[in-house]
Amino acid sequence: MKVETKKENEVTVATVIGRMDALTTSEVERTLMSLLDQGEMKLLIDLDGLDYISSAGLRTLLATAKRMKQRSGIMAFANLKGHAKEVFEISGFYSLFTVYDSVESALEQLGR
Amino acid sequence: MLRNRGIVFKLIALVVTAGGFIFLCVFGYSYFFSRRTIEENINESARNLAQATVGRIEASLRSVQKIPLNDRYFVESTPLDPAALHDLLFNVLESNADICGAAIAFEPGKRQNVRGFAPYVYRSEWTIAFTELASERIDYTLADWYQIPRELSGPEWSEPYYGEGQDRTLKSTYSVPFYMTAKGQKRLAGVIAVDISLKRLQAIVSSVKVLQTGYAFLISQNGTVVTHPRSELIMNATIFGMAEEAGDTSLRELGRRMIKGESGLVPLGPGPLGSASLMYYAPIPSNNWSLAVVFPVAELMADVRRFNMIAFILAVAGLAALSGAVVIIAHSITRPLRTMAQAAGHIAEGNFDAPLPVSLSGDEVGVMTKAFEDMRISLKDYIERLTETTAAKQAIESELKVAREIQMSIIPKTFPSFPAGTGVDMHAWIEPARDVGGDFYDFFFLDRSRLCAIIADVSDKGVPASLFMAVTKTLIKAKAAPGKAPGDVLTTVNNELATGSETNMFVTVFFAVLDLKTGELLYANGGHNPPILIRSQGKPMPIEKTGNPVVGVIEGIEYGSKGLTLYPGDMLLLFTDGVTEAVNLRGELFGDERLLKELSAAADPSPSGRIEAVRQALARHSEGAPQADDITMLAVRYEGPLMEREG
Repeated sequence: MKVETKKENEVTVATVIGRMDALTTSEVERTLMSLLDQGEMKLLIDLDGLDYISSAGLRTLLATAKRMKQRSGIMAFANLKGHAKEVFEISGFYSLFTVYDSVESALEQLGR
Repeated sequence: MLRNRGIVFKLIALVVTAGGFIFLCVFGYSYFFSRRTIEENINESARNLAQATVGRIEASLRSVQKIPLNDRYFVESTPLDPAALHDLLFNVLESNADICGAAIAFEPGKRQNVRGFAPYVYRSEWTIAFTELASERIDYTLADWYQIPRELSGPEWSEPYYGEGQDRTLKSTYSVPFYMTAKGQKRLAGVIAVDISLKRLQAIVSSVKVLQTGYAFLISQNGTVVTHPRSELIMNATIFGMAEEAGDTSLRELGRRMIKGESGLVPLGPGPLGSASLMYYAPIPSNNWSLAVVFPVAELMADVRRFNMIAFILAVAGLAALSGAVVIIAHSITRPLRTMAQAAGHIAEGNFDAPLPVSLSGDEVGVMTKAFEDMRISLKDYIERLTETTAAKQAIESELKVAREIQMSIIPKTFPSFPAGTGVDMHAWIEPARDVGGDFYDFFFLDRSRLCAIIADVSDKGVPASLFMAVTKTLIKAKAAPGKAPGDVLTTVNNELATGSETNMFVTVFFAVLDLKTGELLYANGGHNPPILIRSQGKPMPIEKTGNPVVGVIEGIEYGSKGLTLYPGDMLLLFTDGVTEAVNLRGELFGDERLLKELSAAADPSPSGRIEAVRQALARHSEGAPQADDITMLAVRYEGPLMEREG
């Protein structure tokens, strides 16, 4: 489990690699919270490398999204596939978040 | 061997071994060198002493040799005059104390002087006496002193012999032949002989003393002992005789070298010449006798031996003292260690108040004692804290147990739940991953014919999840009402839960209302896995999704409702993701496909039979891997509108 972050113009891209379950999700949470603490306003989470996400992982994403919303920031996802995509569908996260097919299209949309 | 011994023993063994080794090295080195130095000194002084003695003997002999050589000229150059010869001989004795007799013996002639003529002057007791050797009885020309120089045509010292008369002193005679020239032909005219007493030589030789038992002795050309501290050997023994008697071949060889006129230093074993010794021998050039100086090795080495003995005693005493010191030091180390070991034993038994030895020293033992004391204190604190924590944890665990019991008590677990003829058969199974889980299911009648079935999964586990679950369960039950669409119920519940929620805890909920009269099923889904519909004829498959998100996070979401119709014998399986996401040791998920397969393969198509089939498949799949998430299943089979028939 690891999270890589990079900055594309004013959008911060966090790439999550591995599993987000009850054991590993706290690390992702720490990284995302520290990004928020730095005052990032546009956060794109790239889930291309996400193998598995549990309800604890969803909760972390939700918590991050809620904090972002409180300060009128934008948080979006890209590259949903496999299990993660299924979980997003089942849990209705598609209806809560903006999900892009790729990082490029996300950056194009968010960059405006 | 050493491993199980105490520190004292090990230290002593080590110190004594090392000390002994060092001592042996030093001792051996000094012994070797002192011995060699002494041997060198012996060689040097033996040679010097022997040469000096030889020189003195030689000087004494030469002074005697001069006399007959001088007289020879007189005799050869002067016409024969008995009175003059008599005076000459008298003068010789008077002027040379060493000489005890002198003779001028003429070769007997053929016509005249047939008996020979040999005036002899000798020392009598108090005076100098004269005699004529030539007589009827004695033919002096047959005596060795006359014959040997005559035959050898040169001066010659005789073998030692005892003089006749009362004094019986040991003598040796130096004889010099003299010649007359007549008719141009040189022929032997006689022999001048000088007797000397060997007392003076004996005095010179016996003055040689080496330490207590060292001595010198002289042997003649034949190997006869001439002087020796043991007077019984003088003239009675030869070196060859002694060698023969002792069977000592090396002594015989030595004797040969001595009479050949060689010189050298030889070690002598114990034998006829005394105990083990070193002997230096050198020839006396004048008469070819040989002088030997005997050095007693044992005596010479006595100093070395004494030195070695003292060194050895000192070493033993030193090692003993060292051992004593080691014992004291080792005890000073081991005493606190032993006390410490005892104290540690007490502490090990749980007595943390056991007193530790007080060490005031700053050495390693002191440091260890200090560390040990710190350990005891922190161990004591730790154990106290641990006891408290354990007690607290036990309290929490017992509370958790109670919480689990309460949680389980609010979930209906009695099957069949409804009497036969209700029109529905149900079965459920819940297995929390921890003591208190976040899954739950519920079912209840809204009115006489409408049955609500709920399955939910709170996004956490433990007590917080169970509280959230209880709230959710209560809310759903409170908000559900006849005629109210399931989606509207979830909308209301979501708003209630999400308002002011700081925890970001959410719950996925599937909520369905089955009309038992018609088999019509209305449902709403808040982010939960779509249940599986198992028609009595046909393959199991998930029901249609509603696309609504999880409940309890974001206010104002409108949850939609969908519907489908169950025919008698159709079954709906509600489950949580603990089923499909059960992981085995290789990290493989149980999966949706496997769930569908196990459901259709179940031998017993009843709700309990199918749940049991899935349960067993899960157990096989997990291979003993720890359960990561709560596992919950609720199966509802529609039996047909039986109530309608009865009613």
